[in-house]
Amino acid sequence: MKLKAIALLTIALLVSTACGGGTSSTGGGVAAGSIKGNITLWHAYGTGGSEETALNGIIDTIKKANPDAKITVLQVPFDQVFNKFQTEAAAGGGPDLFTAPNDELGNEVRANLLLALDDKLKGKLDKVAPLGVDGLKVAGKLYGIPMLFKAVALYYNKDKVPTPPKTTDELMTMVKAGKTIVQNQNGYHLFGWPAAFGGKLLDDSGKCVADQGGWADAMQYQLALKAAGGKFETDGGRADTSFRQGQVDMIINGPWVLGDYKKDLGAKLGVAPMPAGPKGKAGPLTGVDGWYINNSAKNVDGAIALALAITDAVGQKAYADVAGDVPVRTDVTVSDPLVKSFADASATGFARPQSAEFANYWGPFGDAVTKIIEGKSTPAAGIAEACAAMNKANKK
Amino acid sequence: MAAVIDASIDDAKLAEPAGSKRGRPRWLTAYLYILPALVIMLAVTYWPILFQVYMSFTDYGLRNLRFDAPAANFVGIENYVNLITNQVAQIANFNFWGMLAFNLFWTFSNVIFHITIGILIAVLLNAKGLWFRGVYRAIFVLPIVIPTLVVATVWRNMFDTDYGAINQGLAAIGGIFGMSPDVFHIRWIDQVDPPVSWIPLPLSYFALLITNIWLGWPFMTIIATGALQSISKEYYEAASIDGASARQQFFNITLPLLRPAMIPAAMYGMIVTFNLFNLIYMVSGGGPLRQTEILVTTAFRLVNENRLYGLAAAFGIYTMIILLVLTLLTNRITKATESYV
Repeated sequence: MKLKAIALLTIALLVSTACGGGTSSTGGGVAAGSIKGNITLWHAYGTGGSEETALNGIIDTIKKANPDAKITVLQVPFDQVFNKFQTEAAAGGGPDLFTAPNDELGNEVRANLLLALDDKLKGKLDKVAPLGVDGLKVAGKLYGIPMLFKAVALYYNKDKVPTPPKTTDELMTMVKAGKTIVQNQNGYHLFGWPAAFGGKLLDDSGKCVADQGGWADAMQYQLALKAAGGKFETDGGRADTSFRQGQVDMIINGPWVLGDYKKDLGAKLGVAPMPAGPKGKAGPLTGVDGWYINNSAKNVDGAIALALAITDAVGQKAYADVAGDVPVRTDVTVSDPLVKSFADASATGFARPQSAEFANYWGPFGDAVTKIIEGKSTPAAGIAEACAAMNKANKK
Repeated sequence: MAAVIDASIDDAKLAEPAGSKRGRPRWLTAYLYILPALVIMLAVTYWPILFQVYMSFTDYGLRNLRFDAPAANFVGIENYVNLITNQVAQIANFNFWGMLAFNLFWTFSNVIFHITIGILIAVLLNAKGLWFRGVYRAIFVLPIVIPTLVVATVWRNMFDTDYGAINQGLAAIGGIFGMSPDVFHIRWIDQVDPPVSWIPLPLSYFALLITNIWLGWPFMTIIATGALQSISKEYYEAASIDGASARQQFFNITLPLLRPAMIPAAMYGMIVTFNLFNLIYMVSGGGPLRQTEILVTTAFRLVNENRLYGLAAAFGIYTMIILLVLTLLTNRITKATESYV
């Protein structure tokens, strides 16, 4: 509770400093008092989590500076946010704007659910890193206001692991020597490894080429890691708990839990990019969190102005300081070295594709991971089967 | 309309013979009475079913949901064919027939336990001289009154490998016999290999079975208890005079006379278990590797995760047909709807 109060106070101070008493314009070009009307906003941050704390603090400040705006905030469970938005927006309802990773952006654009924003945002995203803007584009058009980069990295407990492993060999040596790592057993958290072994998922035509090398080697490495004592968990909460309670020394996870891990581990917490492999750096999926405007929004101008205010330099600084998220703006200085590590991880990541083909990665490769890790399939056979299934679904 | 209804409840008019020429015919009054219900049923039940049939012959998707959206493309019986030939590439390793076989096995295996345990407990609770009979009956109703979602969440936690009560309980019992707690580090939900090598069922099936047995037998006990009360004691007295043993009385009097009540209950239990979405979705999530997926959880994935409304509509129609056939077959075999008087 005390931490929450301090966080809120920090945000309020930061915002008040930047706004100069609520009269100057914000970094996104939104003047105080310019956000008007009823605006409904959805987010999928966990209750009481650091990201929700950051957002609530920013919204409170915006409300004070914009008394004509009536902002309604609704929290939606993360595993339902895309489905809920897509179903409601497709029927003409839903919020005016919502924030989420760009996981479903392509599908939403193809279903005509989001407003194209190129004209409305002309000249307003000059301070945003190009990767952030590109991440919210589909077929060359911009469909969101970028806010954060998100890619997984290696968290480690400094008490147990003074120097994080830089390579896969170093990690293996450490695990064999008794250090422990827990990995979420799914296609997202393990996505970064194949690039380190020279693997590629899709070619330029959208055809799966994971069966042509690298992916099977990466999975073989995972099996060796498991044999050496590495843990694999299908339950993300359980994996988190084991790291937060100090039962395991390392975990691969994203910046969205940084604030929460800090609460438990404090100064013991370290973050490093995923170890590089024999063929290069690891390539976790780099996503971009953005604010999306519903095609059925009743207050489009209000929604865009609100999103710009939330994602201005002050807002992104607050997200970085309170939640440990990586800002997409180039004019935001990140002071926390842990957040900087996540920024490095995001920079080396594989930009999450918005193609219809990539949407068919999750089912086949999710199953392949389970089959391989559980010993029901060899790495080569499992990856070949998944790749064939993905190509079949994509008619490639 | 109100005036019409007010007029129609006039006793004198109700008494008029059908086809009366003096006022409104009696059959018309009856139709006016059922009209509101009919209109509501048409709107909330029959129209959605008809619309689902229409969707099942199209490639209906997210883009077709808006009122101003273009109509979905007519694809004929493609959805129906794709489903039974396993051409659903969006769901990895989709196997319609394998899933149906598991769904039927899941249903029958559960209902057999429900009925057997339900009847045995009912007979025991019916024993003469049993103390606190009412208390037991009240306690046994508990699983029925707790929402399935809550039951599923609690059992899911109880089956947790590291922190679950099941493994901890087993480890405590094993400890008495000097067994290591590691022996009971059982991965109830995640383990892919079947616990019995020659039975192709994952451990999560057994976890689900245990949960659903706990959930389902009390209902059968209530039905059986009610039926037991209606069996005349004279049958047992006559049988005793003839020298029938308790076992003979159970199999020749109790069981046959429970049948009229138990078979409709079993049919109801079958339909509920066949469609037991909450439990499977919350406890095993259909896993591991979709081995415990049933038809309704897959239909949910088609809609919720893949937005394939047309395909999901066809899937729903198949499910309805399967349940209809199952019910008719069971009815025919068991003669459940025949009179026993």
